Amino acid sequence: MMDVFSNIWLGLTVAVTLKNLAYCLIGSFLGTVVGVLPGIGPVTTVAMLMPISFTLEPTSALIMLAGIYYGAQYGGSTTAILINIPGEASSVVTSLDGHQMARQGRAGPALGIAALGSFFAGTVATFVIAFGAPPLAKLALQFGPAEYFSLMLCGLVAAVVLARGSIIKAIAMVLLGLVFGLSGSDVNSGVRRFTYGFQGLADGIEFVALSMAIYGVAEVIVNLEKKVDENASTAPVGSVWPSWADIRYCIPTVLRGTALGSVLGVLPGGGALLASFSAYTLEKKVAKAPRNFGHGDIRGVAAPESANNAGAQTSFIPMLTLGIPSNPTMALMIGALMVHGITPGPRVMTDRPELFWGIVASMWIGNLLLVVLNLPMVGIWVRLLRTPYRLMFPAIVGFCCIGAYTVNANVTDIVVMAFITLFGYICLKLDCEPAPLILGFVLGPLMEENLRRGLLISRGDPMIFLNTPISLGFLIAAALLLLVVAAPAIRRKREEALVE
Amino acid sequence: MKPLIRAPKDFWSGVMFLAFAALTLVTASGYSMGRGGRMGPGYFPTMLGWLLALLGAILVIRSFAITGEAIEKIKFRPLLALLGCVLFFAVTINPLGLVISLTITTFLCAFAGDEVRVGEALALSLGLTLFSLVIFVFALGLPLPVWPSL
Repeated sequence: MMDVFSNIWLGLTVAVTLKNLAYCLIGSFLGTVVGVLPGIGPVTTVAMLMPISFTLEPTSALIMLAGIYYGAQYGGSTTAILINIPGEASSVVTSLDGHQMARQGRAGPALGIAALGSFFAGTVATFVIAFGAPPLAKLALQFGPAEYFSLMLCGLVAAVVLARGSIIKAIAMVLLGLVFGLSGSDVNSGVRRFTYGFQGLADGIEFVALSMAIYGVAEVIVNLEKKVDENASTAPVGSVWPSWADIRYCIPTVLRGTALGSVLGVLPGGGALLASFSAYTLEKKVAKAPRNFGHGDIRGVAAPESANNAGAQTSFIPMLTLGIPSNPTMALMIGALMVHGITPGPRVMTDRPELFWGIVASMWIGNLLLVVLNLPMVGIWVRLLRTPYRLMFPAIVGFCCIGAYTVNANVTDIVVMAFITLFGYICLKLDCEPAPLILGFVLGPLMEENLRRGLLISRGDPMIFLNTPISLGFLIAAALLLLVVAAPAIRRKREEALVE
Repeated sequence: MKPLIRAPKDFWSGVMFLAFAALTLVTASGYSMGRGGRMGPGYFPTMLGWLLALLGAILVIRSFAITGEAIEKIKFRPLLALLGCVLFFAVTINPLGLVISLTITTFLCAFAGDEVRVGEALALSLGLTLFSLVIFVFALGLPLPVWPSL
């Protein structure tokens, strides 16, 4: 107990330095600015702004990236409420009731409750991380290769289950991600694999180039194919402060949303998306007048917003303690840490406590900054919403080019980005979700290494994965997840839930 | 008469996965396999290749039986224009430097959309370049060549 507080204190001493406060502020501000722009979701925002963090020291870099992430998420819900163009799946739910509220002239309270609910959820989630992460890291320190391999397998299966569309395609995308991850020098033998003689591929496909290609350039191409509605009309906002009656009405909703979001965020494959969908569904089930949902019920904004912020934050737990990304954004964070030479995992907390706790503390500060910044500045965001796409996409492409080049000051990475853009475009056209590919790519090298080490220890006996209880548990969980999804009744439910 | 391929999206996804599987398997056959207890660099890739091939095959076969969505029409303009822009930047960044390369890249980018306003695009590309110069080069000190190297 005392430990937790001394740790949070350590974190505060790191986060409340002038420099890190500034990065936190810049991050959440930039994140909001870009996130508000219609058609740009949080993942794209983080991918696009990643190069800004390259020259910073790791702690400041991650503080800023985290700020960008929740800023973008907040900006995304502003877009969802005001013009009904959700930047990404996790704010789809917010737009259901949020946009209805805006059309009824209650855009202000919708934005206000979104901000306050998010802030409350963020505060709770910060403590969840502070209490939950150390025991998990301690447990993870005892993991051998077999446990790690099974954990990653389980995480990938969960990611597949939550991808939209065909499960076979999602599994194939994971495998393809693993294949992409093979490129470069083999750790065990030093043999160069899958480089096809290109010097630039000696260290593998650059993750930054891969993610920018898929979430930056390829997405721009797909957006340009659709005719974007340029004259999105925005409702007048008015006062952003919800009335006391509104707040009281939402308190139980926010509490439930926060609890649900915190739990779901930790699960592999979870994070903001699952959290907001489930919270909305839960509220609809327990609410007294469920018929109001979908017609501008303020609880329909409070539930997903508090849940997705809690989930977004607790999804840092598996990333920081186990080195396992639960969603594409966390995969980007791992990529960014690796650029700085830090491999996320249970050791980060013991070797770099200032990094870990500094980030945790800055999350809370960032959430506070968002409320303080955003409610008064909502007028500016409304003006940004009217930015036509033709002014945005050259900027996205330009930043992606700069980003891909600057990671290693290497032209090959830009060419790689072009090829993967083409590939990403084809995938999007064929309804193959890129998220499982990204997770597979990040986990690929680790999975292979743990598989090989595990089998080396057991002298080639695959039973090692079944003999240790933890490893067996993960494998059973993975198998159950697959079975559950394969069952037709549940499959239909899942499709409904994700399509709605 | 019904078309032979009933689910074009699934069919072509399957073909894509099969192609990647084949590439993986052929490439991996050049590396030593090793044994289970001491895997060589070719073991894991080969495993992945076969799994990928299996899934690709399922998708292809299934697409003859189950009806699925058609692929939306491909618009070549944004695709080719943006791929061209990225490659242009790759070719020019080192010899020409950021100022010239990025200005031209972002200017050309604007032609990928349906609606092109030349004046606006020019202003935008100059603005973006100035912004990038200030942020990435001056403020952050990222290693970017700024002017043409002679």
